[in-house]
Amino acid sequence: MTNSIGEIRNADFLFVIGSNTTEAHPVIAMEMKRAMRRGATLVVADPRKIWLADHATRHLQLKPGTDVWLLNAMANVIVTEGLCDESFINGQTEGFDRVLETVLAYTPEEAENVTGISAEDIRWTARLYATTPKAGIYYTLGITEHSHGTDNVYALSNLVLMTGHLGKPSAGMNPLRGQNNVQGANDAGATPVFYPGYQRADDPQTRARYEQSWGVPLPSTQGLNLNEMMKKIGSKIKGLFVMGEDIVLSEPNVAELEERMKNLEVVIVQEIFPNETFRYADVVFPAACFAEKEGVFTNSERRVQRVRKAVSPPGEARADWEILVALARLCGADWSYNSAGDIYAEMAQDTEKFRGISHIRLDEEGGLQWPCPTSDHPGTTFLHRDGVLRGKGKFVAVDYRPSAEHADNDFPLVLSTGRTLYHYNAATQTRRAEELAEKQPEAFIEIHPDDATVRNITTGDWVRVFTRRGSVECIATVSHQVQLGSIWMPFHFAEARANLLTTDVGDPVTGTAEYKVCAANVVLVALGKGSAPFPGAHFIHRG
Amino acid sequence: MTEKACVTLDGRLVDVYPGDTLLDVAQRQGVDIPALCHDPRLEPAGACRLCLVEVEGQRRMVPSCATPATPGMVVRSKSEKVNKHRQTLLGLYLTDHPSDRTQCERHSPCELHALADVYHAPTHWQHVEPLRTGRDTDDNRFLTFSADKCILCAKCTRYCEEIEAASAITLAYRGPETTIATVDHHQLRDTDCELCGGCVDICPTGAMAAVLPTRMDAPPRSQLEKVRTTCNYCGVGCQLDLHVDKKANHGRGKVVQITAPPPGSTTNDGNLCVKGRFAYQFIDHPERLTTPLVRRTDGLLHPATWEEALTTAAKRLMEVRDKHGADALGFVSSSRCTVEENYLVQKLSRAVFFTNNVHQCAAT
Ligand code: SF4
Ligand code: SF4
Ligand code: FES
Repeated sequence: MTNSIGEIRNADFLFVIGSNTTEAHPVIAMEMKRAMRRGATLVVADPRKIWLADHATRHLQLKPGTDVWLLNAMANVIVTEGLCDESFINGQTEGFDRVLETVLAYTPEEAENVTGISAEDIRWTARLYATTPKAGIYYTLGITEHSHGTDNVYALSNLVLMTGHLGKPSAGMNPLRGQNNVQGANDAGATPVFYPGYQRADDPQTRARYEQSWGVPLPSTQGLNLNEMMKKIGSKIKGLFVMGEDIVLSEPNVAELEERMKNLEVVIVQEIFPNETFRYADVVFPAACFAEKEGVFTNSERRVQRVRKAVSPPGEARADWEILVALARLCGADWSYNSAGDIYAEMAQDTEKFRGISHIRLDEEGGLQWPCPTSDHPGTTFLHRDGVLRGKGKFVAVDYRPSAEHADNDFPLVLSTGRTLYHYNAATQTRRAEELAEKQPEAFIEIHPDDATVRNITTGDWVRVFTRRGSVECIATVSHQVQLGSIWMPFHFAEARANLLTTDVGDPVTGTAEYKVCAANVVLVALGKGSAPFPGAHFIHRG
Repeated sequence: MTEKACVTLDGRLVDVYPGDTLLDVAQRQGVDIPALCHDPRLEPAGACRLCLVEVEGQRRMVPSCATPATPGMVVRSKSEKVNKHRQTLLGLYLTDHPSDRTQCERHSPCELHALADVYHAPTHWQHVEPLRTGRDTDDNRFLTFSADKCILCAKCTRYCEEIEAASAITLAYRGPETTIATVDHHQLRDTDCELCGGCVDICPTGAMAAVLPTRMDAPPRSQLEKVRTTCNYCGVGCQLDLHVDKKANHGRGKVVQITAPPPGSTTNDGNLCVKGRFAYQFIDHPERLTTPLVRRTDGLLHPATWEEALTTAAKRLMEVRDKHGADALGFVSSSRCTVEENYLVQKLSRAVFFTNNVHQCAAT
């Protein structure tokens, strides 16, 4: 996020796109509702009638995968109606001309045909966004989990740059991170392209500095991202080390992946609960959970906060960092960290952004938002205050590319996957909380009443969902939350793995797979076999 | 220089800022005014009448939580009249409140009892049975409502409406029968309740309470240790207070309840969601892994010692590297683990095994 969570309540215009905030980031949704109470305008752009859409001033229910059309059409309105922030564009950005050229073709009228949102709504949204000083954009995986996810992000940032909604409180561009420490994992360099603190791995100077700091030679070959790694499993990749993830449950197009997993020569897993990946593991290390270890998580607003040990791990389980240190030492490393604080100190010392942060400071002051370069620096609540960080804000013109799959005769529906309020990822933790498991005990699929009728499906029926890659069975929930032609399924349930269905076509830049759009169909298997699913009161009252 | 706006509080001149209530001014000065229905996140309701103070020129006392501080006001918060009022009111509240504190305060401290202590409220007045009705037939497994403890401050219903915007609970009936009910008397889970549990944290008396600590048979709150930490679910990074029974599980300790830190102190401003607040039973779940496992010649995973597991893992990883080169290895890190652990995985991959094939599963 370029801004802080505390700034949301003071925003006057909130544009929430591809983020089921109430269910995925409930406490941020509360802040949005508080802004609304103050009189802010909230626009939700989402193919589903998500909970937040109920509170929204307007809900733009676009067709799945047509985000670029919507966003470029908004840009079209802004440039043709002269609502750009000229001085910001001239002073702080580059590349506007190409965008100008591109978006001229995206008229609101044409956009209405493609996205299903009226030209009037597009104009209204664009005008209000451009003319409200405290206007913020909030997005999540509904934007990035597409084969054109990077394009979506560029289209959004073009809107931010052309209106100058950056470097101010309550404005800006705010990706809400799905998992607790996505930000922190990226910050720490757990990515093939960056060393800690976003220092490029392909930069010889960075490498040289780390060679000196760590006292070993470092690789210059380019690393594989997760999507590439998974595709090369069993061929180029012969050995896998996996910490704290169930790749067999969470990776797309998993049936094919499992075939290739068998060819691996070694799989090492570090986990707190047994999971699907265990079937391929040669060694499993029992790990401590968050309440049993020390360290830090970094949240969506770049705030580094402490994780503290409240109880001891069960049996012989150990903190992940302790396991990693022991393993590295057996592999010849001379690591000698005595605490998580030691590790943080080493990371911070080589990274300007974090240099001022330490466990000691965090214990005294609570959380700190990076950049925080010195030990007396207060941290940074919003970015780009003194001009765009990377020198000039870069416009990138993007054209609409259809999703990798679309509905056709054999697979007439579009499937999206996502999360619910009551469960979390593979639900290894939430399903073990009886109360939550009771609220949503089984896998379900949401289907529009008209699509259900032609298939003789009613709520509570047992259905089979299939795509080109596989099929799963689950319970049907007939609901207006999805639009005609769309179905939606949570990915939390191991017995009905949504990822047997999803495509592994990835975004060309990030490798993030297209979990949000694939062609599918549904057939009735048995009448009323399942217990009625309980997706929440929202569903019951509003159908 | 413009002159600063001031009021006189208990004989002292103190600054006021635009938008201040008298309670804001007093709290900034560290002057204690008992306030049972006030919360900085909510609009003032003036419901409990406990925060009344004297203002010169006004015949009746005014609720400090709902009275704007206008420059020049002369305010008394410590007078005999104010004190008498507090004692009487607290005494009245106690007449239909459970008198057994060990029970009343078992799983959450009771502000009413605490204030009664501070202001020496009469505790010997005739006890009356409250006419408020509870929700005995509600079978949700998260929240209970004990009508006898409720003081009708309406913080819970206001929270539910003003902060959570769910409006799942509401004041119902009139007069002495007034109580907190679910909207249209539905089962709680059939309302728009998002199970955020905010009504529990905000309740000053523990009338609105979490079910789990009772179900876990947790010892009283006073015997628990509090540990501040960060939620392990989504990227909001809410701060949590874990309440730990240190003696449970043969000394391993047990998390028996999770509450939000006070409003204003952390990013989440006293708020949490259903996952952060209620999904903690996994910590003690019997399926947790408790010993290393190694796959033996029979093709199955067997319990092993740390030494065997670690040496096997190290050996096998190095074998693959030596046979196929470092880039034949892939390291998958986790956005669920700490920053330090992610740092170590990328360092393990780069510095120990000499490959940039390291990424984390951030897609979901
Ligand atoms: S848990 Fe939250 S949503 Fe439910 S009644 Fe309480 S405050 Fe309202
Ligand atoms: S309490 Fe809920 S909103 Fe807060 S970090 Fe945890 S999961 Fe996210
Ligand atoms: S706190 Fe002022 S009336 Fe309750």
